[in-house]
Amino acid sequence: MKVTVVSRSGREVVKGGIQLDDSATVADLQEAIHKRTKKHPSRQRLTLPVQPGSKERPVVLNYKKSLKDFTSGNSETLTVVFKDLGPQVSYRTLFFCEYLGPLLLYPVFYYFPVYQYFGYKGERVIHPVQTYALYYWCFHYAKRILETFFVHRFSHATSPLSNVFRNCAYYWTFGSFIAYYVNHPLYTPVGDLQMKIGFGFGILCQISNFYCHIILKNLRRPDGEGGYQIPKGFLFNIVTCANYTTEIYQWLGFNIATQTIAGYIFLVVATFIMTNWAFAKHRRLRKLFDGKDGRPRYPRRWIILPPFL
Amino acid sequence: MAASFSLPRRLYLSLYNWTLLFGWCQVLYFVLKTLKESGHERVYNAAEKPFLLAQTAALLELLHGLVGLVRSPITSTLPQIGSRLYLTWGILWSFPESHVLVTSLLISWSITEIIRYSFFGFKEAFGFYPPWLLWLRYSSFIIFYPIGISSEVGLIYIALPFIKASERYCIRMPNKWNLSIDYFYGAIFAMAIYVPGSPHLYTYMLGQRKKALSKSKIE
Repeated sequence: MKVTVVSRSGREVVKGGIQLDDSATVADLQEAIHKRTKKHPSRQRLTLPVQPGSKERPVVLNYKKSLKDFTSGNSETLTVVFKDLGPQVSYRTLFFCEYLGPLLLYPVFYYFPVYQYFGYKGERVIHPVQTYALYYWCFHYAKRILETFFVHRFSHATSPLSNVFRNCAYYWTFGSFIAYYVNHPLYTPVGDLQMKIGFGFGILCQISNFYCHIILKNLRRPDGEGGYQIPKGFLFNIVTCANYTTEIYQWLGFNIATQTIAGYIFLVVATFIMTNWAFAKHRRLRKLFDGKDGRPRYPRRWIILPPFL
Repeated sequence: MAASFSLPRRLYLSLYNWTLLFGWCQVLYFVLKTLKESGHERVYNAAEKPFLLAQTAALLELLHGLVGLVRSPITSTLPQIGSRLYLTWGILWSFPESHVLVTSLLISWSITEIIRYSFFGFKEAFGFYPPWLLWLRYSSFIIFYPIGISSEVGLIYIALPFIKASERYCIRMPNKWNLSIDYFYGAIFAMAIYVPGSPHLYTYMLGQRKKALSKSKIE
């Protein structure tokens, strides 16, 4: 069949179109487009043309499907709309970069005499809480990196390159900001009991968070087929985004133990970001699982932070 | 568009815009009068009261955007008003200056605001605006943004030694919450933001100008 590839403004992206077998898949088409346009398949967004004025969302061509699935009756020709998503990186690469910063930068403030460059001369007394905070923090980001490579199953393989700069700026800046204050020579520790409660609660939440990630991983089919399931088990029975819940409470534990304004600011910002994600996910699941056509009805649950949201 | 909104809203916004217009006219009047009578050194003292009032009243515009009374997104009004209030209270009121840049600042700000508030005042009260006012609103920034921005950065720079010496607004460690605020480095950071911020804002306004003036030609 002959495939015509146009841009959203109607201009032909591949002059003369592409000839493919009738049995070809979308992946084959993407490979052919790659050869002609030098744009890697991961940055190609291919959709079926939408009637002008129609409010419907365009049908996206999934790379696993056959091209035949998208031709309506006439299987000789097909027109697809091409959008360049820009340079992409794999999610694994993105997460690894953003988490590596905090993992490496925090210990710099603990181990190296950086504070003399801020005007603080002389010996630094290190409180036990500062050492435990170092272990807690590094454990957290090491865990995140390991989960990225061994646990998480990603629905999209890639993310735009610009996100690398944006996300790394966020994690690396906040990481340094918090590390500066917790390891400061004039740091004031909290009481012993408060520290133990903070770290203890935090570790509990980190372990729960890990278990949540395992549950989410098992929801996805191993062949990467995608699609949504109703999360079940453990805390997911009462809250949709239990993974975010445990993550937020884990940072709360860290802040209870270390008590810095910098840490609390980070907690508020991270909570805000995750809450936005949670609302979107909850809405998506409720819309998908509406109880009609044999689909189960999404149960009543907290969105992210029982008993508030 | 004005007709489709309720009368109380139009009345309130007309009142707001015309009041602020009057306030900034007052500021400009005191600035020019003092310039003529005694020179630029006394300008801040003469204009201080109406200036503080008019600029701080702009906080209401945040509220207007939040409750949906006007269409402006809070993501653009917040940085705008934030930077104005920082200059007004954080620099000028806290570390008063008699430098000539105060005059250039007050003149650029007051003329810009007079044009802006009269534009909205016309729109809300009468449902239309004279085309020359539209042109003014989207063209005056071409000279007043550079003048205003240079004055702002210049005034922060001049205030730096006073900020460092006074220790005002600073929080030092050790303290229970392990927080430190160094107002001096904050001011340096504020100046640094102007480097990417000004070209971004200027090109944004140029784009807005193109849209607004071409749209009015079609109408």
